[in-house]
Amino acid sequence: MSPKSILVLEKIVKQFGQFRALDGVSLELSAGEILGLVGPNGSGKTTCINVIAGLYRPDEGNLYFQGSKITRHSLTHSAHMGINRTFQVPKPFKSLTVRENLVIADHYAKRPHPPLDELLEFVGLSSLADREAGSLNSSQQKLLDLARALATGPNLLLIDELAAGLNPSELDKVAEKVQYLAKSGIAILLVEHLLGFINSLTKRVIVMNAGREIFEGDLETAAKNPEVNAVYLGG
Amino acid sequence: MLTYTIISGLLFGLFCSLMGIGLNLIFGVMRFVNLAHGDFLMLGAFGAYFAYTFWGLSPALALVVEIIVMIAIGALIYYAFVPRLLRSRDPEMLSLIFFFGISQIIQAIAVIAFSNNPRSIVWSALGSANYQVLGQGFQESWVVSALISAIVIALVYVYLYHTKIGYATRAVMGSQEEAASSGINVHRVSAIAMGIGLALASAAGTLSPFLLGSITPNMGSDITTTSFSIIIIGSLGNPLGTVLGGLIYGLSSMFMQSYVPSWANLVPYLLLFLILLFKPSGLLGKVVRHA
Repeated sequence: MSPKSILVLEKIVKQFGQFRALDGVSLELSAGEILGLVGPNGSGKTTCINVIAGLYRPDEGNLYFQGSKITRHSLTHSAHMGINRTFQVPKPFKSLTVRENLVIADHYAKRPHPPLDELLEFVGLSSLADREAGSLNSSQQKLLDLARALATGPNLLLIDELAAGLNPSELDKVAEKVQYLAKSGIAILLVEHLLGFINSLTKRVIVMNAGREIFEGDLETAAKNPEVNAVYLGG
Repeated sequence: MLTYTIISGLLFGLFCSLMGIGLNLIFGVMRFVNLAHGDFLMLGAFGAYFAYTFWGLSPALALVVEIIVMIAIGALIYYAFVPRLLRSRDPEMLSLIFFFGISQIIQAIAVIAFSNNPRSIVWSALGSANYQVLGQGFQESWVVSALISAIVIALVYVYLYHTKIGYATRAVMGSQEEAASSGINVHRVSAIAMGIGLALASAAGTLSPFLLGSITPNMGSDITTTSFSIIIIGSLGNPLGTVLGGLIYGLSSMFMQSYVPSWANLVPYLLLFLILLFKPSGLLGKVVRHA
């Protein structure tokens, strides 16, 4: 385990019945680093995020955050410790306003974070602060989800398909925001299907298939890897 | 006759709102249908009966005591059973079986403890005056019951919309996972909601002898059905929608009793049928919640 690592996964296994969603996944992530997690549907990317965030408990293996073992943590504990995540399909508190969504996180997360107005400005939702969250479109809901996660003051941010459904100009803006967050010292684990988007953010990518890591490195090298090609192209 | 029917319908409707709001709160937070809801209401009714009969305690005072006791009981039931239910493969189906079991247990114990004889509290226990509203005479017990129901519902509103824990409760209603990711202790919020839900049922129970007539240990099943109709009319998972559902149910019930009394018992089923046919998400519902 590197002393700089903020997150360490050691041979994590997660089973659902007979199905091994994660089959001995190990990885390390340092503060301010962006790690991309890619792979076909069902490869275990979101399960990996769910285990790290505390939604699922691993069946085997160890998980360390800032040097402490956190294998049996919950989502709530994660938020209090400084781990937060966005959801593939965000479910904001629709009957609350955009600002109230952040106020909730501000009330309960117990960690220092930027002022809520600054966060709203950062994700571009200042003008919609008093609107009901349920009235936002899906990309706005994703940005609200990101702001909600940031309002808990995370050191580790797990981002699950933030770019899906965004147009090219929105993609560039979101990429800038993710880079800004990493530069501010937040470790970021990014699950994404848009390889161009992920390539613009990081040169360190893990490719997963059937719950296992099959490659670690940059995407250009991954493209030449026969196992990665077989997974993506069926070759 | 029409004026009397409308006013009595509104008074009764406020009580009906109180009757259903606890069921809807629990459903909204946990997505569980508490099939023992009516039985907790029945316990509240017997609590008020014994408090008045043996100690001469006003039902209004008994209501306050019962609310405190039921919040504690509800939280205990939550922590004892619900986390185990949630870890199961099909928590929603298991919760139906669980609350049905609780309902049967409460009824069986209540029959042994209280016997099947119908009981009632004299109407003067909540005041013996006769109020004139728009030229129509109403017993004080009805007016006071409606007033107490309105106050309790207002307190639920304050809890949900003007307290920190209320915000957290609404967040959990929106999404348990997002709420937990925001740092909210979902189990604590749910346990409190369960306690408040049962407390609201028992609060309605203390008023039920004045609005529903005599009480028996087996009254719970019908009340659960009626309460379910009320919350579906308003909107499942929206506690304040229950107020609308309760008022519509109260008015419909009084109109039927005034003009077609022999069909009055059909009101909950008829309303349920109509709402499911024309607006299954409830009058205030935007989408159908999947229980």
